Amino acid sequence: MARFDDSRPEMTAEEFRLLRDHVYSHCGILVHEDMKFVMERRLWPRLEALGALDFSAYHRYLRYDANRHVELEAAVESLTTHETYFFREPSQLKAFREELFPLLEKRNARTRRLRLWSAGCSSGEEAYTLAMLLKDERRFDDWDVEVYGTDISRRVLTMARRAEYGPSALRATSADLLERFFVPVPAAPTKVRVRDDVRAMVSFGHHNLLDETGSQLVAKMDAVFCRNVMIYFDQSARRKVLRILRDRLVPGGYLLLGHSENLLNLGADFELVHLRGDLVYRRPELPGLTGGEPR
Amino acid sequence: MSRQQGSPAEEARYRALQDLDPRGENLLEVLIAGLHDESWRVRHAAADGLQRLSTPTPGEVAARLVRVLGERGETGARNAAAEALSGLGLEALGPLVTLLGHVDPDQRKFAADILGQLGRREAEASLVQALSDVDLNVRVSVAESLGRVGGEHAARVLERLLGDSEPLMRLSALEGLASLKQPPALSLVEPLLNDARLRRSVFRVLGLIPRAAATEHLCVGLSSEARSVREAALAALGTQAALMTSELRGEQDAVIREALLRLPDARARLARALEAEDVAVRAGALVAVAASGDASLAVPVAEVAREDRLLRDVLSTLGRLGPEGGRVLLAAMAELSAPARAAAVESLVDLVDPSSVTPLCALLEWAEDDLRGVVVRALGRTRSAEAASPLVDLLRDSVTAGAATRALGVLAGSCRSAVVAALQDAVERRATPASVAVLARVGGRPALPLLRRLARDEDPRWRAAAVDVAGEVDGGVGRELARAALADEAVPVRAAGVRAMGRLGGSDAGALLRPALQDEDVFVRRVAVEAVGESGASDRAADLEALVRHPDGALARASVRALSRLGLMGMRVLREASEHPDPEVVKAVLSAVSGEGLALAVSLLEHPHWDVRAAAARVLGESGGPECLEPVRRALEAETDVLPRQALADAVARVSRR
Ligand SMILES: C[S@@+](CC[C@H](N)C(=O)[O-])C[C@H]1O[C@@H](n2cnc3c(N)ncnc32)[C@H](O)[C@@H]1O
Repeated sequence: MARFDDSRPEMTAEEFRLLRDHVYSHCGILVHEDMKFVMERRLWPRLEALGALDFSAYHRYLRYDANRHVELEAAVESLTTHETYFFREPSQLKAFREELFPLLEKRNARTRRLRLWSAGCSSGEEAYTLAMLLKDERRFDDWDVEVYGTDISRRVLTMARRAEYGPSALRATSADLLERFFVPVPAAPTKVRVRDDVRAMVSFGHHNLLDETGSQLVAKMDAVFCRNVMIYFDQSARRKVLRILRDRLVPGGYLLLGHSENLLNLGADFELVHLRGDLVYRRPELPGLTGGEPR
Repeated sequence: MSRQQGSPAEEARYRALQDLDPRGENLLEVLIAGLHDESWRVRHAAADGLQRLSTPTPGEVAARLVRVLGERGETGARNAAAEALSGLGLEALGPLVTLLGHVDPDQRKFAADILGQLGRREAEASLVQALSDVDLNVRVSVAESLGRVGGEHAARVLERLLGDSEPLMRLSALEGLASLKQPPALSLVEPLLNDARLRRSVFRVLGLIPRAAATEHLCVGLSSEARSVREAALAALGTQAALMTSELRGEQDAVIREALLRLPDARARLARALEAEDVAVRAGALVAVAASGDASLAVPVAEVAREDRLLRDVLSTLGRLGPEGGRVLLAAMAELSAPARAAAVESLVDLVDPSSVTPLCALLEWAEDDLRGVVVRALGRTRSAEAASPLVDLLRDSVTAGAATRALGVLAGSCRSAVVAALQDAVERRATPASVAVLARVGGRPALPLLRRLARDEDPRWRAAAVDVAGEVDGGVGRELARAALADEAVPVRAAGVRAMGRLGGSDAGALLRPALQDEDVFVRRVAVEAVGESGASDRAADLEALVRHPDGALARASVRALSRLGLMGMRVLREASEHPDPEVVKAVLSAVSGEGLALAVSLLEHPHWDVRAAAARVLGESGGPECLEPVRRALEAETDVLPRQALADAVARVSRR
C-alpha cells in the first residue's frame, strides 16, 4: 500500500532555498549549498512527525500552520550541530585561567562579583567547564560568581539542566577532574552527573543570539564564551551578534571565540588582545578607565 | 608575542582609517602611508580602504600600489600592497603584467604571485610567456600562479614542465595541474613517483585520475612510513572515489582491499586516519574503510559525522559494513557523540535484522526525539513479530506516531497477523486514536463494525479517527459516517467529515460541503476548500472565488488551487490572486495559468520574491510562445539570484526552440 511506503522525499533545489531562507531570517544560520544533503536528512524526521509528504508541504507548514513557531524551533534544532564536550580547546581555557583570571580578580576586587556567559552553550558542557575552572581557582572562593548558559535550542537546555553526561562528552576530561567534579549516576553505568556544588554556580536560559530585545534580559558580563556558534552564520548575522555581545559586556570585558573563528573584517567593535597562550577579543575600555589591564 | 595588545595610539590610527569615507578626496597618500604602519591591523585597514576608494581610479590606485611593491626593506608595506592589489581585481591586471617585465627578479616574482591571487583567466598568456624567465624563483611562482588562473593552454604548458630538469619546477607544475584539476596522462606522472620530494604532489594529481592503475600507485603510499605521505595517499583516494562511477568504484575497492590485506597494522592506521585533522584525509579514510569492510571500525567511522560535510560518506561507509557493523553501532550507541549517534541511527535502518529489536527498543528509551523517528523506522524493517507491539505503543506519542504508522505498514508486509492483533488490542484498550487508522488500513473489511462503533464514541478524537478512515475500507459506510460527522459539534470530527466527503465525492458533495465553507472555524474552512477541489464540486466555484481574496494566505492559496483543480479559474480571479501579498498565493496562481494567463506570468518575472520569479520563468519555459522570448531574456539579464537565473536561462533555451 502506497501509504505505508517508507521511502523519503528528496529536496529540490527550490525547496532547499525556501527552507534555508526561512531558517536564515529566523536565526542567522546559513546552510550552505553543499549542505542540501545534510538538511534533507536532518529534516526528514520533522516531515515524518508532521505527516508532510514533501519539503514544499513542510515549508508551507512553517509558514502557515498555527504551530509554525514551535515547528520552526524544532527545525532549527535539528539543523544545528550540538557537538560539544567538557574542557574543549584546552589551550584557550588555560590562557583564560592563567592570564585573565588574575586580571578579572584585580578588576572586580571591589565588587567581588564575576559573571561569565556561555552563549550557545549547547548541552551545558562549556558552562560547567567554566564553573569548574572558577572553582579550581581558589581566588574566587567567596565571591559572588555565576555562569550563565544560553542556547536557542530548548532541547539541549533540558539536557544541560539534567547535567548527566556520557563518555563522548567526557573525552577530554582527565581522570582527576572526573573524580573531583562528577558523581556516578546509579541508573546508568556509563554516565556521570556534575556535582551539585558546580551545578549551583550555573544557570541556563533560552536565548536567540540574534534577538536584540531578548538580550536586554542578559546581565552585563565580564567575559563571554561564544565558541563554535557563529561558524554557521554569514557576515551580516555575525556582525549583528557581535554588536549584541559587545553591548552585553562590561567595558574591558572579554570575548572568546572558537579557535577557527576570528573577527578580521568585522570592524572595530572589539580590540585584539594577545595573551601568551591565545588570542582573545576585548570590548574597548571607556576612555580614561584602563587600570589593571594588560598593556 | 609579548603579552600586550596595540597601544591607544595604534587603536586611534586603526579607527581613523576605518572611519575614512572612501568617497573623500586626496585619501590615496593617507592610505598608502597606512600601508607602512608598524601595526598589521592598521596595514590591513589601509589595504581594505584602498580597494574602496572612488578617486583616483582603481587603475591609478593599482599603479601606485605597484610602486610600493618596489620599496625594498618595507616587507610589511609590500605585503599589504599585494593584499590590496589582489583585492582590486581586473583593474590590477595591467600594472601587474607590466611588472612581470621589471628588471628586478624580486619584483617579477611578486607580480606573478599576485596575478595568481587575482585568479583571472586574462593573465594566462602573460604568465605562460613568463615561464621562460631567467630566474628560477620567478618561474616557480609563475607555474604555481598558472595553476590558479589558467585554462587549457596553461595545463598543456604545465604538463611540459613535468619533464623540466629542475625538481622545483616539476613540483610546482604538479601543484599547478592539481589545482587546475587537469591531470596529465598517467604515463607522464609515473616516472615522477620515484622522487620522494615529489610524492605528495604526485598523489594529488593521481587522485584526479579515475583509473584503477592510479589507485594501485596510491595504495603503495598507504604503506609509507611517513604520515604525511600516507595521508596524502588517503586524501587522493577520497578525491578519486568522488570522481568514479559505481563500476569503477568496485575496481578501486578491490585494489584498496588487496593493499590493506598486505598491511599488518591496517586497522590501526585507518582508525588514526579517521581522526585526522584534514577533512580530505578523513574522507579518504572512509573510502578505505568501506573497501576493507572492517565492521570493527564502525564507531570511529560514525564519529566522522561530527564533520557535517562528510555525512554522506559516513552513511555510505556504514552501509558497507553490513549487519555486523549495525550490531557494533547498537552496542556502542551510548558512547557516541550526538552527530555520530544521528548518523549511526540513520544507517541502522538498512542494517537491522530480527536480532535488533531489543537493542532498538532500549535505544528508544533514551534517544533524542529526532532520532527516535529513525529508530522507529528501523524497527519496522526488522521483519520480526516482536516489533509489532512496541510500534503500536509508539502510536501514542505524537512525535513518533507518523513514523510508527508507516513502520507498522512495512512490518505488516512480513508479519501481518501480529500487527493486526497488536492494533486490535490497542483499540480495545482505547490506547490511542492513531491505531484506528492503521488498523483499518492493515485489517481491511473485518474492521468495519469496530469503526461504526467508534464513530459514536464519546471522545471526539475516536470519532474523528473512525470517520477519517472508514471510506478507505468501504465507500458506503464511509459516506454515511462522513455525513453525520459534518454536523458534529467538535472541530476535529467536522474536519474529518469534510476530508472524507472530499475524497468520496458524488453529486451531492457540493451541497453537503457548503456549510463547511462558512464554518466558524478557519481550519474547517481551509479543509473544506481543499475538499471541494478534490470532490470536483463545481457548484461551489463562487464561494471559492470570494475566498481567493481572503487575507489568510493559506485559505486564499487553497482556494486558488481548488479552483484550478476544478478547471474554473477565470482571468479576473487569477489577476486578483496574483496581487495577494503572500507569495505562496502568487505561486499557486502561476501553477494555474495557461493560454491568456501567460501575460500574467510575464509580469510576475519582476516580482520581488525570487521564488515567484523562478516559478514564473518555469511556467514560461513550459508553455510560453515566441512572443515571450524577449521579456524572458530581459529578465535573465537583470536577474542576480542563482535559482531564478537557472530557470530563466532554461526558459530562454526552451522558448527559442519553439
Ligand atoms: C557546536 S555548538 C557549540 C557549543 C559550545 N559553545 C562549544 O563550543 O563546545 C553550537 C550551539 O550554538 C547554538 N546556536 C546556534 N545558533 C544560535 C542562535 N542564533 N542563538 C543561540 N544559540 C545558537 C546551537 O543550538 C548549538 O547548541
